[in-house]
Amino acid sequence: MRDFLELAVSATASGCVYALVALAYLVMTRPTGIINFAVGEWAAVAAFGGFLTLTHAEWPYAAGIAAVTAAMFAVGWATERLTVRPLVERGAPVLAPILALLGMLVVFRELISVGFGPDPRPLPQAFGFGRLEIGLVAGSYQSFFTIGVVLGLFALTWWFFERTLAGRAFEAVAIDRRAAALMGIDLSRVTALSFAGGAAIAGVAGLLVAPNTSAHYMMGLPLAVQGFTALVIGGVGRVEGALVGGLILAFAEQLTVRYAPVPPGLAMGVPLVLLILFLLVRPTGLLAAREARA
Amino acid sequence: MQHSSFARRARALVAAVLVAAAPAAFAQGSIRIGIITDRVGPAKPYAEPVTQGAEFAVRELNAKGGLLGRKVELLIEDDQGKPDVSATAARKLVDAGAAFILSLSLTPATQQAQTVSLETRVPHMTPSNSGDTLTTQISNPNFWQTGPLGSTQIATLLSYARSKNYKRVALVTDNSDLGQLINRFFKAGLEKSGIQIAAEEVVPRGATTAEPQMQKVRAANPDALFMTGVLTPENTLVLRAYRQLGLKAPILANYNLSVPQYTSVAKGLLDGVTFVDAFDPAKPEVRRFVEAYRKDTGSDPWNLHGYGYDGILLVADAIRRAGGTDRDKVREAMQATRNFVGVMGAQGSSYGFADGRRTGFDTNGMVVRVYERDVQGKVVHVGQK
Amino acid sequence: MKGAALWIAAALALSAVAFVLGPYQTDIYRKLLLWITLALGYNFLFGISGQVAFSHFTFYGIGAYAIVILIFQAGLPLPLAAAAGVGLCVVLALAVAIPATRLDGFYLALATLAFAQLFVVVLNEGGAVTGGTGGLASYRLPPLFGARLDGPRYTVVIVLLLLATLAVLWRLDRSHFGRACRAVRDNPEAAAAMGIDVRRTRIAAYAITSALAGIAGMVYAFVDNTVNPPIFGLENAFLLLFMVIVGGSGSHAGAIVGAALLYLLPFVLSPLIGHHHALVFGVVMVLVVLFQPRGLVGLADARARRRAAP
Repeated sequence: MRDFLELAVSATASGCVYALVALAYLVMTRPTGIINFAVGEWAAVAAFGGFLTLTHAEWPYAAGIAAVTAAMFAVGWATERLTVRPLVERGAPVLAPILALLGMLVVFRELISVGFGPDPRPLPQAFGFGRLEIGLVAGSYQSFFTIGVVLGLFALTWWFFERTLAGRAFEAVAIDRRAAALMGIDLSRVTALSFAGGAAIAGVAGLLVAPNTSAHYMMGLPLAVQGFTALVIGGVGRVEGALVGGLILAFAEQLTVRYAPVPPGLAMGVPLVLLILFLLVRPTGLLAAREARA
Repeated sequence: MQHSSFARRARALVAAVLVAAAPAAFAQGSIRIGIITDRVGPAKPYAEPVTQGAEFAVRELNAKGGLLGRKVELLIEDDQGKPDVSATAARKLVDAGAAFILSLSLTPATQQAQTVSLETRVPHMTPSNSGDTLTTQISNPNFWQTGPLGSTQIATLLSYARSKNYKRVALVTDNSDLGQLINRFFKAGLEKSGIQIAAEEVVPRGATTAEPQMQKVRAANPDALFMTGVLTPENTLVLRAYRQLGLKAPILANYNLSVPQYTSVAKGLLDGVTFVDAFDPAKPEVRRFVEAYRKDTGSDPWNLHGYGYDGILLVADAIRRAGGTDRDKVREAMQATRNFVGVMGAQGSSYGFADGRRTGFDTNGMVVRVYERDVQGKVVHVGQK
Repeated sequence: MKGAALWIAAALALSAVAFVLGPYQTDIYRKLLLWITLALGYNFLFGISGQVAFSHFTFYGIGAYAIVILIFQAGLPLPLAAAAGVGLCVVLALAVAIPATRLDGFYLALATLAFAQLFVVVLNEGGAVTGGTGGLASYRLPPLFGARLDGPRYTVVIVLLLLATLAVLWRLDRSHFGRACRAVRDNPEAAAAMGIDVRRTRIAAYAITSALAGIAGMVYAFVDNTVNPPIFGLENAFLLLFMVIVGGSGSHAGAIVGAALLYLLPFVLSPLIGHHHALVFGVVMVLVVLFQPRGLVGLADARARRRAAP
């Protein structure tokens, strides 16, 4: 039981990171239909930003995180302006920006590789390295910190989409682009904001995971794949879906490693098999989108 | 019809590029040594310092008047960590007149490049790859390996730990090709010594935690934990989970834990970790190498730089004894290498290819060191005695 | 008649090249031809049928491993092993396609992405059968009907593979089936209304192109006489996608141009700008999508149109 609860904390923390990447995909794909695989590289860019501000310049933790998140907001905005906007304005098919962003994935990764070299770089943990025990539940400070930050961000995003006018505008665009435009919603602003927000969210994911793994040039693609998998499991329709998907994926992975009687090398294949089965049984994800005109 | 005109144009383009990619005319007089490295792929963190060591060795050689009175010229090819491209790079080096090829990239890439040295009989060596299978999977008389083998690493660690009398141990690796290979030979070495494997875990590339794997290790309650992975971020996760979960079994790690990146990314997690190394900072050759390298480049070398340096010197030694670059003579000279003392290896150890073997790292040439806090400690054990 | 003559001329010309190249150029030429073969098949799957699948390279790997395992471990003679290998690819492709083609767009992408990763896991864990992480080596192509196919003769085999693949895809593209594929790509509902069986069309396109990739894989297995897992990872699957896009998706010429350009780019750029060639690759990709949505062949098309205009 103790082991299981300890594992639950670790899986929840990992699941929260996957969920955050999935959320980054989601805030971009909801209003635009664009799947942006460069989110993993955004997380890596932010991780290196964390290295520069927190490790290298030794800024206070909160200041460093805030600065990097703000910078990521700008990176997302610029990426949208440069690679998505021209295509959307031209009325290119939705695949075109997806492919342009795949190209950006390579550009970001190589910029990191050229700028920082191949060696992994350290990031400090938010509250240092230690173990927190609350009754039977135990985990690292960083795990609890990650869970707290991610749940907070999810609550904020949910509040934004459900309770604010700007958020409702996003939802309106997601449900019917043309009608939203007719209602006077500025589509290009919504698109730009969704990319800026997506980059900031992905950046936070990178800042949360890098203190454990270090920041390195190969960290982006695995995160992009894990987050995308979580997104598909949870469904692209609703914010909660990303969280559910991330947690399911992380629990499937970690419970398999811990308890399934399969050879260690094959253990990483089990979530892949699960995913394929899941896609076949329920291709729209667990949580379906709200009906168009409810 | 439109299509075939494009096809024609495409073919014309291909032909033009093939011509452009052809090597320049052979520069008379210089001796060319080819290097296959990885500049953009997964092996980059290890291939880069080894390449820098090799470049330094060539600068040093040329400053001392070259080799056999001829200038040494280094031809460096990037295989992007892709095995098929590695074979192409090897062909290019052969075409460019390389007298010797050094492979510093991924193990499977070195494997595939061997197809070329097997066929063209150009001498070929890896001074850094440590996978045991490179000289056994293909019977290639033109290929040598002078990195410390996985089997030597585990034998050295076991000889150090003999007094500890381990009965059951755990193995933790990653899913990289080299990590899997080293794990295989660690496992074989442990089983040969009659030690039971209580748990065997894999932390895949890109994982965000190693806690489930380490929980399993904790539940198995082994006498010791052997780390066989070679990916620094994933190994850092292992160390973190080890501390986090309060494991007490001593850690004995493969050669990868000797790279200096750990002292920054795994800061605070290293104290007491035992690792096998091929580098003894107290050895006179190492002290001379470190000083000369620092003077030349302004930065400090580490153990991986020593591989590239030794690789070039071993090749230069063979070419010198062969009296030229004739492939057969160089091959014979290389195979005849004995008692060559380089930067890598314990004091008193040397490179050599005894009894027709093509693995040249001294089986008694590895050392065992222990981290003291975050600093790599002194050598505490040497060889397999 | 004229068509056949053209094909024969192309075969002769491309084969003749094999006899004048040095060893390095031969190696580049062979691998280039294989990349073009793969890109042609992937173009049919992605560009013409509109299926975003990442499994094309995996079938290349399945073909490569299958032929080596069937000949050197199961002891089958070469023609039988080749036939069995094709059969295996078709069966596996159907096993993936029948359930997976129900999936739309990016769900198919994810399912095939998972399949591709699973394949590498199986290769690494395959023990003696797949040789694990080191793969299989130390074999050579057995003689076919008494003839040893090596050197330039093997390059000719690759040329014929490329042309046969192109011929098959060319015919398919211009058949009723090809039109059905394009209709399904552009608008599945409209295609269904026109009486096209959307699922069957998708499954057939997937199975045919996957089998073609498998055959190319069999030929690849004897280029360096070694097969190992890293080649069949995701990197190359993405590279294939980039090739088709940069060249111009939906066009055979585009696949050829894209494959040639992206395959040769590192060899040309690496000596000039070192490791920055990967950065250039990403920038090229972005610029092409932004400014030349129909790929590089779109450039030539536009010029041809301008010239045709009065």
